[in-house]
Amino acid sequence: MSANAPRSIDEYLKQLRAALAGQDPALIQDALYDAEEYLRAEVAAHPGKSEADVLELIASTYGAPEEVAAAYRDTEAKVKAALRPHAPRSAAPRSALRRFFGVFMDVRAYTSLFYMLLTLATGIFYFTFVVTGLALSAGFAVLVIGIPFFLAFIGMARVIALGEGRLLEAMTGERMPRRPVHPGPPASWLTRIADMLKDVRTWTTLLYLLVMLPLGILYFTLAATGLSFGLRLALAPLLLVGRAVGWLPHDVHVMFEIDGTEIHGPPSLGPLTFIGSLFLVPLGLVILAAVMNAARWIARAHARLAKALLVEPGP
Amino acid sequence: MDDSQTRKFQKDLNAGLVALVLLAVLEHSSEDLYGYEIAKRLQRASEGGALFKEGTIYPVLRALAAAGLLTSRVVPSYAGPPRRYYRITEEGRAMLRQWSGVWRQTRDFVDRFIEGMPA
Repeated sequence: MSANAPRSIDEYLKQLRAALAGQDPALIQDALYDAEEYLRAEVAAHPGKSEADVLELIASTYGAPEEVAAAYRDTEAKVKAALRPHAPRSAAPRSALRRFFGVFMDVRAYTSLFYMLLTLATGIFYFTFVVTGLALSAGFAVLVIGIPFFLAFIGMARVIALGEGRLLEAMTGERMPRRPVHPGPPASWLTRIADMLKDVRTWTTLLYLLVMLPLGILYFTLAATGLSFGLRLALAPLLLVGRAVGWLPHDVHVMFEIDGTEIHGPPSLGPLTFIGSLFLVPLGLVILAAVMNAARWIARAHARLAKALLVEPGP
Repeated sequence: MDDSQTRKFQKDLNAGLVALVLLAVLEHSSEDLYGYEIAKRLQRASEGGALFKEGTIYPVLRALAAAGLLTSRVVPSYAGPPRRYYRITEEGRAMLRQWSGVWRQTRDFVDRFIEGMPA
């Protein structure tokens, strides 16, 4: 056994974290969680022995921190390769035009757009949850139930953060934790509250849940406006035909109307004809492609923000 | 030097075997199991020395779950952190049957040469 073999669970976790330095923070959180689950169960299974005695044998059963870190690195690399949704991109450089319109073939662009539309609902929910929770915590602080209420509130915020991470990983592919933050050793309520208040991540998690409301409004507005604008133009001929044969009511307009007159360009163009509407299709497709490219970019940027606030401040 | 080469050989062998053993353990268990329980079952079964470190089964469990061969659920525990219980899926059972076939074939093939070797 090496001279710096860990003598306590905390020391073991510290060495494991050091051995995983540079890896994805979400992977580190998962590995630390698994190790802590095992180590605490092992210590609990040997009530007669001290933590140091149990830890002495850990290197031969669970494995030394470096060994365990290597196992996670190997497995993560393999799983990533196996779960990658698309075949590796062709090596030939693609033209900017094809990259721009290739977005229609990208599943991630559709899921990103869906995520943007969803953020209005989740943003309202998160914001309400945090504001209600904080207000009630402050109100209950003078009562006996104040402490358990605050603990339950922070606990739920962490569960929500984990769920948001899972959702983001499914939508954008950014690796997020698959395990919650480990609650640590059993301790008195007051120590646990103090630990939570000292933990930077508690505050960044609440901050993330709060800013999701303005961000959600922004994302939803961008996605909804861009989509309806692009779709209307791209489907203009269909709208005209549908109106002519009576499938659609006569007051459905391709763009918008002023004083009962349909507006789709300079007044000198006159009323929109079927041939004229065909010119709107490519414009609509360009707008849709731009919206989907933007959605993919925004979702990726948002995933990085989520990671910076929900994962990286780590315990 | 010799020892480290043996360890490296064992590690290379284990790469796929750990997944096979984990699927088999969960297939034969009547109830869902969590990581520590599985680790202890393997430890009891390995007389002499364990073939692999228990810490290496957790990432493999996660990988099997991500591939849809296992399902998992988290159950709060009174004794400590919440535990993640694993159960084998139908896909996992089918995969286990295939892998077991590959394993038997490989074992018989290798044995034929090793046992035929002049002492």
